[in-house]
Amino acid sequence: MDKDRARVNWLRYSAPMGVGSAQARAAAVAPMHSLVNWALLGLVIERPSYAYELARRFERTYDQALALSSVSHVYTALATLRERELIEEMPGTLASVRSRRAYRATERGVAEHAEWVVGQVLEERRRQRVLIVQLGALAKAPERAIAALDAYEQACLGEMVAAPPAGSDEGPGTTRLVARLISEETRLTVAAKLRWVQYARAQVQAQSPPRPGSA
Amino acid sequence: MSLLALEHVSKHYREGQRERTALTDVDLEVRAGELVVVYGLRRSGRTTLLRIAAGIETPDAGSVRFAGEELARARRAVLGEGIGYVRKALRASEEDGVLEQVVAPLLARGVSVEHARKAAWAALERAGAERCAAVAVGELSAGESVRVALARALVLSPALLVADEPAAAVGLSERDGILAQLREFTRDGTAVLSSTAEPSEMAGAHRALTLGEGRLRGPSTPQLAPVVALRRSV
Repeated sequence: MDKDRARVNWLRYSAPMGVGSAQARAAAVAPMHSLVNWALLGLVIERPSYAYELARRFERTYDQALALSSVSHVYTALATLRERELIEEMPGTLASVRSRRAYRATERGVAEHAEWVVGQVLEERRRQRVLIVQLGALAKAPERAIAALDAYEQACLGEMVAAPPAGSDEGPGTTRLVARLISEETRLTVAAKLRWVQYARAQVQAQSPPRPGSA
Repeated sequence: MSLLALEHVSKHYREGQRERTALTDVDLEVRAGELVVVYGLRRSGRTTLLRIAAGIETPDAGSVRFAGEELARARRAVLGEGIGYVRKALRASEEDGVLEQVVAPLLARGVSVEHARKAAWAALERAGAERCAAVAVGELSAGESVRVALARALVLSPALLVADEPAAAVGLSERDGILAQLREFTRDGTAVLSSTAEPSEMAGAHRALTLGEGRLRGPSTPQLAPVVALRRSV
């Protein structure tokens, strides 16, 4: 499996632009799972630009949330986005100099990006349900379930404290609007999780068999 | 050294034939310059915890020390000056002026009127309520009322400010300003211990804890405060 993937990648990135091997076309049809690719597409949609500037903007914007393995990561991600026809080279740029080629999003890129954003909301809900089912599996051992809830609550409290409070200045590498939206999203989602922990703890305790000697 | 230290604090109330546990074996330390926020649902023991921390109530078991001294012994001397307590609602006659309200704690301690007025203005400014000085208490908005209550507690320059649900009755826009104000107080070393029934109001605190079934959960001492966030949303 890994060998196959490596072969497809080798073919995709070693083939000259425009040659378009069968493997590369097959890869383009498969869903794009890379969060970095989608995040980069978001930046191109926000403002068309060239690779180096996009790499700098990526680091500023996704500071601590997403990381590039290296600057060359941007080139491979841009190649993928181009193959999938989600971005295109802007006319009139210096096509002979790779680092100065400027890219803009295609209509397809904008539409697929919007679709992906909506899909992430459902993905988040799916992951949360999986987590809750795992906690449910611990319910036969209430002490363990309570300990897991306590640990989850601690992590949430840590996240809440780290969240920039409303009305504070924006953090590094983000615009004021994005910073405010992130702040409010964090506060509201973590607040909901903390409320849920209290509910879940009460439910687990209610299902626990009474301890010997207790009334 | 901790400014405030609660150790193994428990508190029970009798409600008719029943006994209700408000706090069970609670440990909590607060240091100078810290903002510590406790979240709990209704009847979780939030107010009891804060009243015990302020020395207004005594625990059934355990100890409460303020600046190294047992609070039960030094209660009268500490409350007001060492510890400022901010109630949920400002207790005042509707006709009372704001400035009268804020100077009152100083006048009660024999401070001259001139000095008391100067200190009251400084406290109102610190709480962001200087515009309310000439207003009657009955005319204050919910947010202004909280700021005046904070100024009334601050006028005695306490080392620890204990605020019970300071943002409970205020609108969303005023809420953010009040929470920012609490953080601002800690810049000069004042410690703030506050409670909330709304978990999102814990954002920006130095430490956040939860209270449920009388048990306090979370980093009860500054050393145990988590420093790494679980995840940051994109």
